[in-house]
Amino acid sequence: MLRLEKVRVRFHDQLVLRDVSMKAASSRTTVLIGRNGAGKTTTLRSIMGLLPLEDGRILFDDFDLATVPVHDRARLGIGYAPEDRRLISDVSVEDNLLLPAVALSFAAFERKRRLDEIYALLPEIAVTRKRAAGVLSGGQGKIVALGRALMVGTRYVLLDEPFQGLAPVLALSYADTLARLRQTRPSLGLLITESTPKLLEKIVDSSLLIERGEVTELTKLIGSHTAAAQ
Amino acid sequence: MFANYVPVIVDGLVDAALIFFVAVGLTLVFSVARVLNVAHGSFYALGAYLSVVIGMWLTGHGWIVASLAALLLSPILIAVALGPLIERTLLRWTYGRPEALQILVTFGLFLVLEDMQKLIFGVEPYSQDTAVQLFGVSHISGIVYPNYQLLLIVLAIMVGIGLRLMLRQTRIGKLIAAVVADQEMAQTIGIDVSRIFVLAFTLGVLLAALGGALASPMIGVAPGLGAEAIVLAFAVAAIGGLGQIEGAALAAILVGLTRASAIYWAPEFQPVVPYLVMVAVLLVRPYGLFGSVGLRRI
Repeated sequence: MLRLEKVRVRFHDQLVLRDVSMKAASSRTTVLIGRNGAGKTTTLRSIMGLLPLEDGRILFDDFDLATVPVHDRARLGIGYAPEDRRLISDVSVEDNLLLPAVALSFAAFERKRRLDEIYALLPEIAVTRKRAAGVLSGGQGKIVALGRALMVGTRYVLLDEPFQGLAPVLALSYADTLARLRQTRPSLGLLITESTPKLLEKIVDSSLLIERGEVTELTKLIGSHTAAAQ
Repeated sequence: MFANYVPVIVDGLVDAALIFFVAVGLTLVFSVARVLNVAHGSFYALGAYLSVVIGMWLTGHGWIVASLAALLLSPILIAVALGPLIERTLLRWTYGRPEALQILVTFGLFLVLEDMQKLIFGVEPYSQDTAVQLFGVSHISGIVYPNYQLLLIVLAIMVGIGLRLMLRQTRIGKLIAAVVADQEMAQTIGIDVSRIFVLAFTLGVLLAALGGALASPMIGVAPGLGAEAIVLAFAVAAIGGLGQIEGAALAAILVGLTRASAIYWAPEFQPVVPYLVMVAVLLVRPYGLFGSVGLRRI
């Protein structure tokens, strides 16, 4: 269980998260819905430890993450795919995927095992694995960023607006990929932010609405998405 | 006809080799920590002083060949003693702060190191050329060259290629390159960025001190060495494009060759030549030969 308790985050003198309390359970897909500027990205960045908390706690299986530096959160099994991909453009797709494994000094067999698993799940990037990440299209880049998050994200994977900027066809295939991921890694906790959550209907277990830095739970899932986004 | 140019080329390449050691370290530290370290030249000077003093002591005890080891040992001593200490206490504090502040702090460090050097080694010039004598001479188109100088060129090429291979192939190198590309992303995938900063800075100190140590058998080691090295290294790093290894190599060759040409054909211009080259390059390519706006790779 990944739990936020009354998390307050200030950014450039602006209160971006106001006492946010929410949870993302393992084996579940949690979607955080909100428009631009509502605090979706800030929530994920806070979980990763990239922003200091002014108040509140973030708990990983009841363990307070306050003293865990950013780089050790990867070690806990939290993978993060930022909205803007953040791949190293002059390095090959495969080396981008392997970078977390290099950083965390995985044994060679473990590296290979996880890489094979990622390629099996994301066959579209297996064919581009020797190419430099910089030449990929935005959509392919998003999938590589997902793959890189899966390299470390054995417990939780945080996806920031995965469909943002994707062509409709690519967005659909990305949604299918997530559905397959749901099946191949049933114990994984997924936390996804979205402004238009329609594509996630098939896999979502719990929907949260974030507005002006405040989170409320949406109890009725089906059919409430469109209302929530407006 | 060609023979006329051989001395210019050899002198130019020797000059280039020495500048390269300092400039590439400066550029490495800049690309990782985004701090232009004004005190970088002091490590060059300290490398020269320490290897001369250790070399003289060893030669004085009859261990002549062992004095060669001083050329490699003293840069390591300096890097290990000063690299982590300075990064952890002083430099770390300037990350992400305004450039003016970074320059003032590192300039302050330069003054401190400069005075420390005078306190420890005095102000009299030292010279210790055992290494040059040990390696003998070669004849190239009728001109006599110390083999030591030719060896320097080879060493600089090896260090350049070695650095490139390290960044591409080794674990630490890949992590350094990732931090250069995107520090925040590097953290989220499990890289301890502060450790990489210490490593990269210490490696930069090692390279500068190595440059000074290797230069020491050919020069008089005296106060002012550090200032001269840093100004030239700045020019070379700017010409190559800050943060670019290949750029620093090419720029060092360019500056080395033009300096040597000036010495032969227009000696009065020799001190300003590197800066004329810099101005000319930056007018055409404001981010240097290999640089561009927002480029973040090494």
